[in-house]
Amino acid sequence: MIRRAILPGVTALAFLFLFAPVLIVVLASFNAGAALSFPPHAFTTRWYTMIKPSFFDALTVSLIVASIATVVATLVGTPGALALARGRFPGREAVNAACLSPLMVPALVTGIALFQFSVIFWDISGLTLGGTIAGLVLGHLTFTIPFVVRAVLAAHARFDAALEEAAQNLGATPLQTFRWVTLPILQPGVVSGAIFAFVMSLDDVPIALFMGGGSATTLPVKIFTTVEFDFGGDIMAVAGLVVGASIVLMLVFDRLIGLEQFFGARQ
Amino acid sequence: MTQEGNAGGGRIDVWTFALAPMAVVLAVVFVIPVGGLGLLSFHEMVGPAQISAAVTLANYRAFLTDPFFLRILLDTFGLGFAVVGCCLAIAYPVAYFLARLRSRFRGLLLFLVISPLLVSAVVRNIGWFPILGDQGLVNWLLLSLGLIRAPFKLMSNFTGVVIGLVHALLPFMLLTMTTVIQRIEPELEEAAANLGAGPLQRFWRVLLPLSLPGVLAGSLLVFTMAISAYTTPAILGGNRVLVMATYIAQQFRTVLDYPAGATAASVLVLTVGMLSYLALRLRPGGPEGQ
Repeated sequence: MIRRAILPGVTALAFLFLFAPVLIVVLASFNAGAALSFPPHAFTTRWYTMIKPSFFDALTVSLIVASIATVVATLVGTPGALALARGRFPGREAVNAACLSPLMVPALVTGIALFQFSVIFWDISGLTLGGTIAGLVLGHLTFTIPFVVRAVLAAHARFDAALEEAAQNLGATPLQTFRWVTLPILQPGVVSGAIFAFVMSLDDVPIALFMGGGSATTLPVKIFTTVEFDFGGDIMAVAGLVVGASIVLMLVFDRLIGLEQFFGARQ
Repeated sequence: MTQEGNAGGGRIDVWTFALAPMAVVLAVVFVIPVGGLGLLSFHEMVGPAQISAAVTLANYRAFLTDPFFLRILLDTFGLGFAVVGCCLAIAYPVAYFLARLRSRFRGLLLFLVISPLLVSAVVRNIGWFPILGDQGLVNWLLLSLGLIRAPFKLMSNFTGVVIGLVHALLPFMLLTMTTVIQRIEPELEEAAANLGAGPLQRFWRVLLPLSLPGVLAGSLLVFTMAISAYTTPAILGGNRVLVMATYIAQQFRTVLDYPAGATAASVLVLTVGMLSYLALRLRPGGPEGQ
């Protein structure tokens, strides 16, 4: 009997571990006592009213950057992925690997590399990239493009070429075939790649930490730099809001594309 | 893939045209900056944020001989091994349970495994503060139960970073392991049992050897992600844990010794690159792998 309970017991504990920090964030954000003390003293929503406006500014920056980076990555990455899947040119394998390689370089390294680059770029051209929305978008393209490419390549691997041949046999031009056959079949891959890119852009700290600054500070970086110096209940309230928003997003994604499809893009 | 017949010379141009924008963007935002950072590691620092014009290998020589740097490198690998060990210890039984589970809740459980990944990493890290802090949940429990007299230091040190990274990377290990164990047919274990093998023997002589490729693949993945991570070591290490990532960030944020940071970054990229390559070669999985 005891032996039978071991595996479910360990599994239950593992799930408790996985959800502990998320649950505690929400719990602590309503704690009237000191932000980090346990057990909670009394219920309060005070912290939520004390969130500084700068956090909402940071959220706006995050959403703008994620939106632009996702749109550009989708527009550039989808044809790129198709070319990688179908084109026949010398060194295709190498180009393929090169396009996905940013995912293998630690984001921190990409971040400082871009920061260095922006300094030199400023020396040469007088244009400022560091601490601007444009700089943040450029930084996030380093991973949003590969995510889109990977998702589209995965969708393409399941593609049945006979469908295109059938369309062409029925008299469709190559352009018509592409618009009415190829794109609709690849669409779920493109959408899940784009959503994944968007979420990862909202999540990023290292790149936005080095490319951002001032008015171009994203929400995760704002939280990150704040907890480096002090830690109050208002931070817990911000975190609580993020958890709430994540749950809403999760439900929306599930409705839109199904979460299994979504996480397929991560593999 | 190959389109015989209608693939004329013109087709190559079409695909080159489709590829070009992406190639240009990635070259500008990634290849040139990262290449530039690599070059930076061959110069010497002559003042804060100032570098020499001469090219030298001195940074690498310093990095690979100075005990201070070797300590950081060793701690980084130690962190990776600790995280992999904990992830494996938790993931193996849980993945076995999930892989063998015959219930309509199985899909839901697998979804729950990955759902924490949708919550921002910074926020998940912050969630550990009220749990691991001196006045946090764990210390409160241990103190109330009378098991300890003074609060245990669980944060702003190596332990805190390990806990945070195990939490962040456990879903990846769980997914890999569940897929691998699912492919091992339960009949093999039943056969072993019928032949008189006890649970331990079945695990040691049947399950473990068959799941070894998955264990290896999952471990490599988790190890590379653990030594690449910056956010978690920075937040839960509280500026006190010096691993490659936090050292690199420090050189660029406060110390301003750019060449030293660039050298450490190059060493980290090379290490991670080799491990990723190894992981690709060892990837278990059938023809569906990209």
